[in-house]
Amino acid sequence: MPHQCTDCGRGFDDGSKEMLSGCPNCGGNKFQYQPEGADISETPDAEPPEPPGPDSSVARTVGKTAASVRDFVSGSGTDGNRPGGRSHPDTDRSADSQPSDPSHTPDSPSTEPERTSTTEDSAQASARGDIVEPDELPSDVPSASESEHQFRPVGADPDPPEDPDREDRPDLEELRAELNDQFESIKVLEPGQYELNLMELYDREEYIIALQEDGHYSIQVPETIRSE
Amino acid sequence: MGLLTNLKDSISRAASTLFSEEDPKRIGIYGPPNAGKTTLANRIARDWTGDAVGPESHVPHETRRARRKENVEIERDGKKVTIDIVDTPGVTTKVDYTEFLEHDMEKDDAVRRSREATEGVAEAMHWLREDVDGVIYVLDSATDPFTQVNTMLIGIIESQDLPVLILANKIDLEESSVQRIRNAYPQHETIPLSALEGDNMDEVYDKIAEYFG
Repeated sequence: MPHQCTDCGRGFDDGSKEMLSGCPNCGGNKFQYQPEGADISETPDAEPPEPPGPDSSVARTVGKTAASVRDFVSGSGTDGNRPGGRSHPDTDRSADSQPSDPSHTPDSPSTEPERTSTTEDSAQASARGDIVEPDELPSDVPSASESEHQFRPVGADPDPPEDPDREDRPDLEELRAELNDQFESIKVLEPGQYELNLMELYDREEYIIALQEDGHYSIQVPETIRSE
Repeated sequence: MGLLTNLKDSISRAASTLFSEEDPKRIGIYGPPNAGKTTLANRIARDWTGDAVGPESHVPHETRRARRKENVEIERDGKKVTIDIVDTPGVTTKVDYTEFLEHDMEKDDAVRRSREATEGVAEAMHWLREDVDGVIYVLDSATDPFTQVNTMLIGIIESQDLPVLILANKIDLEESSVQRIRNAYPQHETIPLSALEGDNMDEVYDKIAEYFG
């Protein structure tokens, strides 16, 4: 069961569609990927003692995610399935060699009985390998010409250009809007509602010191520019 | 008004640094809104200087301009550590005035608060880049620490090689889980505390002296 809900600990098979609309148990929408051979429920003594609570499995999985990411980044976790992180290299190695075994996880019986979709692996294999039959498609699929129209490239003009002078203008405007979406450091949805791009705010040399209702910013000019 | 205060602060900082042998380290208190940053800043300032830093509130974004408390001398084991505390606005990716309407606020006030909070986040992000020597990252231990904002900010702090102390605040709450924070950021030391109740402040001061002294 390579996927696990980080809220309730429920496991899901690889390719399971149940996860797509949130965990059926608790509605959680964060899942952790457990590579093959990884032990979903870590042995309790691998963590420092903590009073058991409803969040302890969440805590463990979050910790494991962080540890795996760290291992991956530092290049030490090339095998990709080292759940315990740096503090327990020996137990990690033994975990690698063992297949995921239900009897190995006595402290969290709740993850196993809830296993519902045992045929997922074959479904997944079929989804990867087979071509869908035309009669399996939903009947309300738009006709070929319609779908072509829907998925035309961003730059294509929906109407034949009557005025040759105007031909390129829609592209530029769309492009500008898209760039604004991506790079604007503060997006004013409406006065009082803002979306902030933290990386952009952090990266820029000058900083915004006052926002105005009309969308203008006042910025502090960096000293390097001012002195020139 | 905020501008004038900032200007006055920077002048007084420049003046004070002229006369001190060693500059006090500027320690930014960062974290998401309502994690208890101002409560902590006030607790530290009151314990060591007798003054407060700013008003605390249950309404998010009470702190909308970074506030400084300079030359806070913390004594540990006979040694003195001097720091400037910078209490920053809670960092977030979305500010929406409708959130404040639930706290009995008029629309005009809510819109203004929202605008000021946004300016405050921009300022806090800018300071993180240039103006702090170390970071105290405050998290509410009763909420999920694994958020985009926390991951991004801690990533930025790590990329700057700034010393960072992670504080798991609000351990007086029943839902608090310090372990959840330890597991989310295992590369850093996590110190539990309740800034409101003053629980475990001794260890916090020990660590401040150790990390930023």
